[in-house]
Amino acid sequence: MNSSATRIPTDSSVATADDTVAMPLDEVLRHANAIIANVESVIAGKHAAVRTALTVLLAEGHLLIEDVPGVGKTMLAKALAKSVDSTVSRIQFTPDLLPSDVTGVSMYNQAERRFEFKPGAVFANIVIGDEINRASPKTQSALLECMEERQVTVDGTTYLLSTPFTVVATQNPIEMEGTYALPEAQRDRFMARISMGYPDTENEVEMLNTRDVTSPLEQIGAVVDLEQLRAMMSSARGVFAAPGVKEYAVALVRATRDDRDLRLGGSPRATLQLIRAAKAHAALQGRDFVLPDDIDELAVAVLGHRLVPTSRALGHHHQDSSALIEEIVLRIVSETAVPLGNQKRS
Amino acid sequence: MSRSETTPRFAERGRNYWPLTGALVVLLLVASMALGPVLRASSWWWVMAAVSTITLVSAGAFRHLGWARSVVPLAAGGVLLVTLTLFFGNGSGLLWLVPTPGTVEQWGGLAEAGMLSIQQQAVPAVVYPGILFLLAVGAGLLAIALDTVAITLRFPAIAGALILIPVSVPALITKSGTDLAALVLTACAYLLLLRVDVRIRRRSEAATRDRGRAAPRSSGPERRGPGPVWGSLGVGSIAIVSALVLSAATPALSDSSVISNKQTGVLFGSGVSPLIDLGQDLRRPEASLAMHYGTTAEDQPYFKLLTLDSFSEDLEWVAGRGATDITNTMDEFGDPEGLTNAVERDEISTTVQIDTVISSWLPVPYPATSIDGLDGDWQWDDGALTVSSDKSTTQGQSYKVAGLELKPTAEQLRASGTDYPEAIRQYLELPENAPAIIGELAAEETANVANPYDAAIALQRYFRSSAYAYSTEAPVDEGYDGGSLDVIARFLDVKKGYCIHFASAMAVMARTLGIPSRIALGYLPGDSTRDTMEGLPRWNVTTHDLHTWPELYFPGVGWVPFEPTTGRGSIPDYARGVGQASTAPLAPSTNDQANRDAALQDREQNSGGVATAAQVSLLWLQVSLVVLGAVLILLLPFLIRTVGRLQRRRRVASGRASPSLLWRELVDSAVDLGLGVPDTETARHLASRLSASGGLTDAVAAALERLRDAVEHERYARPGAEARHRNEALVDDLDVVLASLRSGVDVRARLRAALLPRSLRPEAFGPGRGRSAAAA
Repeated sequence: MNSSATRIPTDSSVATADDTVAMPLDEVLRHANAIIANVESVIAGKHAAVRTALTVLLAEGHLLIEDVPGVGKTMLAKALAKSVDSTVSRIQFTPDLLPSDVTGVSMYNQAERRFEFKPGAVFANIVIGDEINRASPKTQSALLECMEERQVTVDGTTYLLSTPFTVVATQNPIEMEGTYALPEAQRDRFMARISMGYPDTENEVEMLNTRDVTSPLEQIGAVVDLEQLRAMMSSARGVFAAPGVKEYAVALVRATRDDRDLRLGGSPRATLQLIRAAKAHAALQGRDFVLPDDIDELAVAVLGHRLVPTSRALGHHHQDSSALIEEIVLRIVSETAVPLGNQKRS
Repeated sequence: MSRSETTPRFAERGRNYWPLTGALVVLLLVASMALGPVLRASSWWWVMAAVSTITLVSAGAFRHLGWARSVVPLAAGGVLLVTLTLFFGNGSGLLWLVPTPGTVEQWGGLAEAGMLSIQQQAVPAVVYPGILFLLAVGAGLLAIALDTVAITLRFPAIAGALILIPVSVPALITKSGTDLAALVLTACAYLLLLRVDVRIRRRSEAATRDRGRAAPRSSGPERRGPGPVWGSLGVGSIAIVSALVLSAATPALSDSSVISNKQTGVLFGSGVSPLIDLGQDLRRPEASLAMHYGTTAEDQPYFKLLTLDSFSEDLEWVAGRGATDITNTMDEFGDPEGLTNAVERDEISTTVQIDTVISSWLPVPYPATSIDGLDGDWQWDDGALTVSSDKSTTQGQSYKVAGLELKPTAEQLRASGTDYPEAIRQYLELPENAPAIIGELAAEETANVANPYDAAIALQRYFRSSAYAYSTEAPVDEGYDGGSLDVIARFLDVKKGYCIHFASAMAVMARTLGIPSRIALGYLPGDSTRDTMEGLPRWNVTTHDLHTWPELYFPGVGWVPFEPTTGRGSIPDYARGVGQASTAPLAPSTNDQANRDAALQDREQNSGGVATAAQVSLLWLQVSLVVLGAVLILLLPFLIRTVGRLQRRRRVASGRASPSLLWRELVDSAVDLGLGVPDTETARHLASRLSASGGLTDAVAAALERLRDAVEHERYARPGAEARHRNEALVDDLDVVLASLRSGVDVRARLRAALLPRSLRPEAFGPGRGRSAAAA
């Protein structure tokens, strides 16, 4: 009992990703559009952010949303979660949050005279971690271990997390007092980081109209069930990435390691996740192969939060770090030759 | 964003292009020097240098002033006109500067005279004002073309093709080809130009960077091609090698029978001032009518063009007398040298109508006493009474020569003695190193004679004897063609030759015997016709009647012609010698067919000659060949691209190549049209950029999308995946898209895309695919 991994059922149908039948790509496209439309009925004018979020979800990665308060980070996470008929849990990270609050705890059941595992918030398909940088490093690392290993070990017993399992964490970059910024190693575990940005005037006015009385979040429901989501993920995994495209991804990430303006470049995990995300991105367009364009489009989101600029570059720039990083990544993308597929260059 | 939106493709205003102008000036000055082998003296170079420098500098100044690119060449053309008016307007321009109708007329005359001079002269040619004018015009136009190509269009590499025009001229018309030193210097100047250009590009690149981060896509990866220095060196070496190959290849062309200007018999080569190339004329298989005349003389006269009376350093016969005295006008003619009243004479009148001879020497029977009806300035020569002009030619002339028909008797000549005046003694000079065989043979043949006349008769008889054969082949085959003393020695040994050999041998032998002698060059009397000319029988002289003969001096009689060439001409009474009662010519008459053939061959080997109408057409052929060659070189990029495009289409349509070849064609065409396509740009990005650039109809956009899909599919989809579009349809799509792209740019860009396709440019020279594009 101690050695075997135990799955805590979070859903009636327990299934692993492996035995899910892939969905035809047009189906994927249809469902994806449904999800996007659903989410966008809540958050207007944030098409790119919504798309990237869905891409990360399909690619079975974790998403870090980093922006100032009040732009709808949590709203996006919640809307996405609600669009899928899945279990959702939300953790508001605070300095006094304990690791066991996240992972769960073994409690003694006096009636049955044995220890009983009380699952923590992490046992859900979609875990929304609000203001993750407010929690103590100890709690953060408890969550991050779950994210990477997709399992929880308490008192020597390992519990498998549900599939799919996606953490959508939000982070406030401005308010730094009393926060513990995620260390580089932990940021690396998120597949992508996005920022919401302020809505434009039109959308902000529109928001005033619709959100005056009720929260629109109340009005949306699930548009795909968990089984369908798993099939979509399976389809995304099956998308073909040509050798040239993989080399292109490697070339991009390697370029970040050699760049004069970067202190820390992308890890091999970054390359892996770039390709995974690109596959999901292609699937979201109903395409069964990855284009360099998929990688180009995702480069900033997937690589951005992993890179650390040199202080010299920062000093030259008089900008905040993420804007500088975005610029550097775009430059690297523009300087890396596009592969011409499997054929030889002439 | 494309680089084309952020970086200039042409010369920018306000940028300093003076170093390029300087390099172009150097290039043009050096390249003009390559014309050295075909022109005499050096004054022409200064004029070319002045005109090209003024034109280039003015173009640079207009650019510096910020004038529009398209205006600069026009304005430079204006400056060229003003310069030409100043130099060649002869004061006819307003304020000496602004061309007037009079100036244009003046220029027309100059150009015509220049063309004539070019046609009639052999190389190296004397630069008359007409030629000078043409050179100046050429230099100016070349300067404008170079400026436009190298600076305005920023294609300095193409300047190499243009500069080949002056450089290749000597290669086309002389045997030795372009002077190697001039070639190397030109190549160096070309390299300098490329180097300067690279420096400017670099500076421009740096400036572009400083202007800020234009567009992420505009700065591509590091240059993958060779570095700029090595690039220019590479292209430069290619240029040098091709120039060498060109110059090595063209002499072969010169040797062909079509374009031929061999200087085999240099008899009338250097030394004769307005030089006539007789060889070209004589190589014509068919005779053309040189002139026709009617005369009152009993025996039809020989028409003398010029005389050769001394030896050059390399023992060639040359016209050694100084320049003709310009006071010797046609108003009053000089007296024949040495002629006294004791010689019986008839006054004769000869009316000459020139047909195709173009020469600055006038065919005149010797001795003339007056000439009427000539156009232009003509002077007669003191000793020989030959008539020549610096400015005019014989073309179309019609004139009447009054002269004498001298009838010295054999007795008179025999009794004339050897009391030569001082002025005549120069006709006795022989080079010290003259071959001994000449003198020995002369002495041997004249061992039994007592006076110069009998010696001359003996020599003439000796040459006309059966020991000698008339042959035009032998001298060439045996390598002793020409008129030098060495050649004469060989001729006396082999005993085969034609008029040059006979005439020069007899003249030299006469000198060894102490008889003053010289060689005359001119025309035989020609053939009689049934027509009349001013009541006199008309005689036709063809280009095949060109001839040389010796003239010997006898005190009291003067210069007396002899005819040693076996089988040619007729022997005058006085030259028949003792006991020759018959007045019939020794040789067959000139009407005799056999003699005509011999004469024809004589001409073919003779190196005297005068330009004719047929020769003019040959020159045009040469000029058009040069122009054609230049045009071909300039069209080469166009041809390469067009053939390449057709081939790609065909290969894809036939299924031998995949659709990505079409995409490559699309990319190349976009690059040609100035839409920079870095190799870091994805197909999708390019397609959306093209669509976004506007002007694409839905059908075109759909075609573009199909092409994009096809290439993406081919490059990135799972191997073996089924293609979505048929190749034939894709080829049609490509045509649709290309047509639309072309119609989206102005005519100039389209023309440039066709003629100077950027996609062919090596990276080192400008916006290709890589970063270097940003530097343009």
